[in-house]
Amino acid sequence: MLGSATKRTAPEEKKAEMTDSRAAGATSTEPVTKAAGRPAKTIETRGVNLFYGDFHAVEEVTMTIEPNKVTALIGSSGCGKTTFLRSLNRMHELTPGARVEGAVTLDGEDVYDSRVDPVAVRRLIGMVFQQPNPFPTMSIYDNVAAGLNLNSTKISKSQKDGVVERSLRGAHLWEEVKDRLDKPGGGLSGGQQQRLCIARAIAVEPEVLLMDEPCSALDPVATLAVEDLIGELKSRYTIVIVTHNMQQAARASDVTAFFNLDETGKPGHLVEMGPTEAIFTNPNEKETEDYVSGRFG
Amino acid sequence: MPEVARAEYLEELANLEASALGGLDLVNIALGRTLEAVEHQDIELAQIVVADDDRIDGRYLEVHQALITLLATQSPVATDLRLISSLLHVLKNVERMGDQCVNVCKVIPISGNEPPADEEMVRLILTMGRQTKTLIMQSKRAFEERDVEMAQDLVRQDDVVDDLNRDCFRLALEIGDDIDKREWAMTMLLAARALERTADNAVDIGEQVAFVVTGLFREFEDASHPS
Repeated sequence: MLGSATKRTAPEEKKAEMTDSRAAGATSTEPVTKAAGRPAKTIETRGVNLFYGDFHAVEEVTMTIEPNKVTALIGSSGCGKTTFLRSLNRMHELTPGARVEGAVTLDGEDVYDSRVDPVAVRRLIGMVFQQPNPFPTMSIYDNVAAGLNLNSTKISKSQKDGVVERSLRGAHLWEEVKDRLDKPGGGLSGGQQQRLCIARAIAVEPEVLLMDEPCSALDPVATLAVEDLIGELKSRYTIVIVTHNMQQAARASDVTAFFNLDETGKPGHLVEMGPTEAIFTNPNEKETEDYVSGRFG
Repeated sequence: MPEVARAEYLEELANLEASALGGLDLVNIALGRTLEAVEHQDIELAQIVVADDDRIDGRYLEVHQALITLLATQSPVATDLRLISSLLHVLKNVERMGDQCVNVCKVIPISGNEPPADEEMVRLILTMGRQTKTLIMQSKRAFEERDVEMAQDLVRQDDVVDDLNRDCFRLALEIGDDIDKREWAMTMLLAARALERTADNAVDIGEQVAFVVTGLFREFEDASHPS
């Protein structure tokens, strides 16, 4: 069970999970980047249809997102890739009128089961957004610890210090900020802010990281730094990244899924999914070929 | 928005393909002259072929550079990427074929103005050369038309060249004791060898056709593991 919404059972389970992750954070002196790979979880979707009110945004997506791999979702604007991404951790339903049909499972467990607490889902399936969105006035330290504070009431200062350092190291930011942890997160550069958001996301030890165009607001150097980081993080997490930058998909992902829509107003659908190398050298579908070759005028 | 996105890039790629394959026309002309020079022992014509090889090399350098620029600036993928990769191979083959014509032309003066030519051997070499010209033009057409079957047929055509090459070798062995005639036969074997290699380059171009179309590279014939 991912974490139940039923009050009687939820606290115990959530507490157990949090205790586990705190213990891992507190006892491990090894930075995340040096930790050996750990098996992450598989996401499967079956016949997923997504709606905004009457508007059918995404149609019948069935796919398996493999653990410890980077899966890139590509496709033109409006094809539903971001909507689909947001359905994986139940963020889609936060939009008024939004609706989900079909099944999403995390290692076989139904993410949309009525007994599952959406907040627990979002802790296990973290998200990094297009615009770096640290809490601007909150300190760097508190930004990273924010997730811990929300998810748990009992964590000692030394345990928290451990998690913050481990997460910042994991996000390749520790060396740059270790002497100014008390300074506001808003004072960092764009690339640093995005890595701070990644640190915040991994602080709660998720299983999956969803990234919605994480580099679109970054300069090329910061972009490559985040791409390198993504490459390292996959040894511990399942990563799904939405990107408009096809070269980024080609560089940074292992698997690429191409979404398209027949015409404006029609729902987006999955056209083809396969090893990134195959999608960019010899895709099966002409639609994919035209898109990756830039023939979508 | 234009009818087709990236129209200029696509036009440039099409032009570069035409230029690279046009290199095969240059080779065809060079080979035609080479055969004429062999047939008539025309040393001047042979020298023209040697000098004109600069045009083939120039074509190689020019198209090669333009393809590298496209790779650097346009990030081609999928079929476009396979096409560019294939054209780089084709260019290399074109350049090698031009060099083989030069190799043949360079042995013509060695055999002197009035060599003790063996008519049968000259006939074999001319037949080999004409067959090689057929292969070159067939490889070009197969590439232009993306015709894998036509490309695969190059292997059958190449077998004819290989057989003729072996016939040349046998004839050279049986050419007799006359030292001048034997020396002439040895230089002609070098010419036969160069033609055999040229035909092989045409088969290599055929393999690139299959790669562009299917995305899979495989040798039509594996010389180290003959079937």
